[in-house]
Amino acid sequence: MKNSLPSLQLLLIGVDSYLPGILLSTDTSQVDFYSRIYLHPCYKMKTNTVISLMSLMSIWMWTGEGQIFQPELTSNAFLAKVTSNTVILKQPYCVFNQPCPGCEIWLVAGLCSANGTFDALVNSSTTNILSLSPYPTAFNPSSNNFFLTRVGLLSDFPCNQYPNDRYFVVGADGICSGVNCNGVLPDGSTVCFKYLLIDANRTLINSSNWSGNITLPKLLPLQTIYDGLSARSGAMVVITTILCVAAALLLLLFLIMLCVTCCRPTKKDSKQISVMNSIRIPRYDTHNLKERVHPYDNPAYQSDLKNYSTSSTLPKNGARKL
Amino acid sequence: MGAGALTCLMFVVIALNAIAAAAGLALFAVAIWVAVDGYKLYPISGVSGKDDIFAAAWIAIFTGFAFFLTCIYGIFAALKRSRGFMMVYLIIMFIIFLFECASAITAATNRDYLVGNSNLVKKQMLQYFADSSTQGKQITQTWNRVMEQVECCGADGPSDWIQYNSTFKQMFGSTYIWPLSCCKRLSTFEVEDKEGCMVGKASTIFPKGCFQHIESVLSRYTWAVSWYGFSVLMLVFFTLVIAMIYYMQLE
Repeated sequence: MKNSLPSLQLLLIGVDSYLPGILLSTDTSQVDFYSRIYLHPCYKMKTNTVISLMSLMSIWMWTGEGQIFQPELTSNAFLAKVTSNTVILKQPYCVFNQPCPGCEIWLVAGLCSANGTFDALVNSSTTNILSLSPYPTAFNPSSNNFFLTRVGLLSDFPCNQYPNDRYFVVGADGICSGVNCNGVLPDGSTVCFKYLLIDANRTLINSSNWSGNITLPKLLPLQTIYDGLSARSGAMVVITTILCVAAALLLLLFLIMLCVTCCRPTKKDSKQISVMNSIRIPRYDTHNLKERVHPYDNPAYQSDLKNYSTSSTLPKNGARKL
Repeated sequence: MGAGALTCLMFVVIALNAIAAAAGLALFAVAIWVAVDGYKLYPISGVSGKDDIFAAAWIAIFTGFAFFLTCIYGIFAALKRSRGFMMVYLIIMFIIFLFECASAITAATNRDYLVGNSNLVKKQMLQYFADSSTQGKQITQTWNRVMEQVECCGADGPSDWIQYNSTFKQMFGSTYIWPLSCCKRLSTFEVEDKEGCMVGKASTIFPKGCFQHIESVLSRYTWAVSWYGFSVLMLVFFTLVIAMIYYMQLE
């Protein structure tokens, strides 16, 4: 069975089913095609029907140009469309348009480097291709690097419906152990897909094209995230500098204040007028009130009392004789 | 200095001390708010060992209340016109000033480590979410609550869970791409569309990241302690300078 069927050949197959015997040669030029129709013995009888059939066919050909014939990524904007080990594809609507009761659509998922391996195995082997490469050992170092998994019945994907929002997740079963389970793909690999049409007897009827290369992003280990200091914010710098300056200034002012207040007595003495020997404090209680308070002291000199409270502070030379 | 000017200076000192006492009490209240952690984001800083924002808040509680008490004492000391009392007041205020400086600087510096960019928060989430250790349970609980309440997923977005390996991926990666907390829920708390959420359909998942919310909360805590502490300190600085002048004019 041919792997790729251009739309004109499909048209011929369709016409062949309606006007038997037309497909006598493999020549597919358009002139020959139309001449064969017009010269067909049944042509005169079925002219009108042929014309309507042709118009239907041309419409179908036109719509058929939009038909996908290979697996494609879903057109939805899913966040997990392509992860490191799963891929989300469109559902295979209108991929295989032939009538095939009880047929199923299967998906071949594997490394793109194994495309040739799969094709060769399919062409050469006559055994059941579904168990060619069981999933659990599929991606071992010396294995085939592909696996097959069932997508659904052909009848579930008719061509007259074309919902774009339906999707199929490759890898939905996680790390599974079945022969044909929908397991995850190898991390960070480049994968390709292909649809197969398998009938009820498990024989291959048809297969689509290989999809384009889909590169899965490699999973990053979380140790690669650098969580050290990124940058210092401006606010932090301002607060730190101004507060440090303020604290230092305060300490400085405090020390200056202490110096000024502690050194004040000596400075005061040199500034103030020193008491001269001529000032005389009359003492009226020399004889009877020596040890007690002196009530006859002049209150004007009350503040100077402590300067003269002991004999050592009295002027040494005493009163000068006037 | 004349007696009139001295009295005027005394009133200025008393007024400034009254204002500083009120400011100190407000600092006490704000620091209690930070320490109580109403947004319940403490595990994010606690697990990484960088919880100095909360340590600074505790210091600010004590210094705020100490400012309040000392400034009241300062009013009393100024009224007494006593050098001894003023000296005690100045020394105590200076010590409290230094502690409050430490609190403000610590909070501001530590914030840069935690939420300068999303890396630390993201790495912590990937490492500890769904982990069974004590820290893992705390982080899981915190992130689940944040993702559900703030309606976000991951640190920068759901793609964090896809790009990086994580404990969650090791444990649940074959069934779930990202946690169910990332999915939109009905009012009955059921997930609206689990299939769509696991695929990443935009209407069933929260597309924005949680880092912005976490950063804004931790910044709010930091600026409460550090900028407000800074402004209280500037007021106290000015008060102390005036008090020192008053001290020098006494006697």
